[in-house]
Amino acid sequence: MRRAPLLPALVFTIIVTQIPFLLTIFYSLQSWNLVRPGSQQWVWFDNYVSVFQDSQFRGVALNTVIMTLGSVLIAVVLGLVLALLLNRHFVGRGVVRTLLVTPFLITPVAAALLWKTTLLDPTYGLVNFVLSPFGVGEEAWISDFPLASVMVALIWQWTPFMMLLLLAGLQSMPTDQIEAARMDGAGAWAIFRELTLPHLRRFIELGTVLGAIYLVNTFDAVYMITQGGPGTASANLPFYIYQRAFLGFDIGQSAAMGVVVVVMTIIVATFALRLVFRSFGAAEGSH
Amino acid sequence: MAEVVFDRASRIYTPGATPAVDGLSLTVDDGELVVLVGPSGSGKSTALRMLAGLEPIDAGHLRIDGRDVVDVPSKDRDIAMVFQSYALYPSKTVWDNMAFPLKMRGMDKAEQARRVNEAAEILGLTEYLDRKPKALSGGQRQRVAMGRAIVREPQVFLMDEPLSNLDAKMRVQTRAQIAGLQNRLDVTTVYVTHDQVEAMTMGDRVAVLRDGRLQQYATPSELYDHPVNAFVAGFIGSPAMNLLDLGRAGDGVRLGDVDVPLRREVRDSAGDASTVTIGVRPEDLSLSDGDGVKAVVDVVEELGSESYLYAHLADDEATTLVVRGPGRTRVRYGETIAVRVDPEAVHAFDSASGERLAS
Ligand SMILES: Nc1ncnc2c1ncn2[C@@H]1O[C@H](COP(=O)(O)OP(=O)(O)O)[C@@H](O)[C@H]1O
Ligand SMILES: [Mg+2]
Repeated sequence: MRRAPLLPALVFTIIVTQIPFLLTIFYSLQSWNLVRPGSQQWVWFDNYVSVFQDSQFRGVALNTVIMTLGSVLIAVVLGLVLALLLNRHFVGRGVVRTLLVTPFLITPVAAALLWKTTLLDPTYGLVNFVLSPFGVGEEAWISDFPLASVMVALIWQWTPFMMLLLLAGLQSMPTDQIEAARMDGAGAWAIFRELTLPHLRRFIELGTVLGAIYLVNTFDAVYMITQGGPGTASANLPFYIYQRAFLGFDIGQSAAMGVVVVVMTIIVATFALRLVFRSFGAAEGSH
Repeated sequence: MAEVVFDRASRIYTPGATPAVDGLSLTVDDGELVVLVGPSGSGKSTALRMLAGLEPIDAGHLRIDGRDVVDVPSKDRDIAMVFQSYALYPSKTVWDNMAFPLKMRGMDKAEQARRVNEAAEILGLTEYLDRKPKALSGGQRQRVAMGRAIVREPQVFLMDEPLSNLDAKMRVQTRAQIAGLQNRLDVTTVYVTHDQVEAMTMGDRVAVLRDGRLQQYATPSELYDHPVNAFVAGFIGSPAMNLLDLGRAGDGVRLGDVDVPLRREVRDSAGDASTVTIGVRPEDLSLSDGDGVKAVVDVVEELGSESYLYAHLADDEATTLVVRGPGRTRVRYGETIAVRVDPEAVHAFDSASGERLAS
């Protein structure tokens, strides 16, 4: 009864999340193409069968894994390097920190557009301009490396998040442990390897999981930069489902894909979150 | 084995501010256990950290075993430190914590194992070697920190309030263990504490610091019997020495309605000062049946073997005294008692400077 005041929130949450999901499951069991009115009929699991037979779907799923994990891991590594730099004292540290955080504050669509036009454009892009002294001509980054181009934009946006998280981790590290290690004869690299990395482990895990949960849903960057192309070379699952639903008007198929993706995401996220909670829980005990 | 010499060593954290350690000169003999004691903020930790190489030395010199170490980094000073927080490595097991300094020095595995096992044996940690620090009690963590220091077999041990995170009983036990271990290993040790009881019980010699300055450096009994100034007098001993600013009268000073005689040398060195600060320890005050200063009891602390009576003078509320009484005293709150002063046991200090008068 004490929880009664929370009931409206619960009802609201159910209405906006669970009912659409049930509808999606309902649609996924039907064959229904919007272009052919009256085509709606029950086909039960046929849609799922064709999802798993669809080699494009598998390719796109692989793209999603590469895009998500690749971007997150590279962002973590870059974020770690920047956090280590920011964890030292130098003149103008505050300004540098603010500048480094800004990519995270930019609307993803705007960031994607910026990468597509201002930076990666073959003729006018700044990247080619900067690289021209090194003999790079009018390289068409986006058509030659579509997946990598999307990932670059994602990494650029997510590195600051990882940096902030890891910086918080670094600053929560007791200085006396480092002093003790220094007296014990450890050099900078040994301190990093033996103490800093183990201490940061749970922050790295948290960053990876949070980043992956966000990035697995990436749509804007793909839509803006490559439209998933050429072909489906840079499409990920959300974009592919969107294509099938709103460009192919195949509601049944795309609903089935959506259900498959949700189920897989829940499985992966459950394990990942459990990992994070376990290492944070374990760390709690030590203080 | 080494001698440690602070030679007018100073540490100034912020330019212009008063130094945290101000011209400290101190010699710790080979194998000696010296305690740095003082109230919080007196610069004890800073002095220790200077010796550890964790703080730069802004002026003066510091020598370990005859070698000036001002520009020598921590790891090359051949010293080991036990931190107040223990600073154990949380991701490593007890074994790995203790082996860490050896591993970092590239010692071969067999020798590492021998030393860690030996230290674990001495400290009673053998059965905990596989545990992580978070699975240990406070006392066990403290011993791991000790273990990590002794496996190094360093020239000097440094300890910064190593007992302050333990409960009272553990503290007394561990205090004796550390002193015993230090005796046995015979390693020069500098030990920091704010607790004068720890200082008195553990130190071969004790250095009393205040505001970054060394007040007195002497054996515990010397500190107790001949404090060089009113600060040391009040700091050493528990309950603290009674320090009273008293007006001169005749050949002594006037305490309430009695005269306390002062020795001739004291009178001479006091000159014509109108007041003198008198120090009397609670145990040098006794209850009498008739003569003596009349005082009214505010608090009775009964310890069983003895009792302490906190009282104020009958004719002067502002002057308070602590008197040691017998155990199971019948004196009660609000009673008026007569207190006799043992004139032989009176310390006298200059009221203005706090310096000891005569010696
Ligand atoms: N890192 C620091 N920066 C500036 N001042 C400090 C620093 N550490 C200590 N101090 C100052 O130096 C003085 C002595 O401190 P410390 O050596 O820690 O005292 P103790 O250990 O005796 O309590 C204090 O006034 C303290 O405020
Ligand atoms: Mg201290």
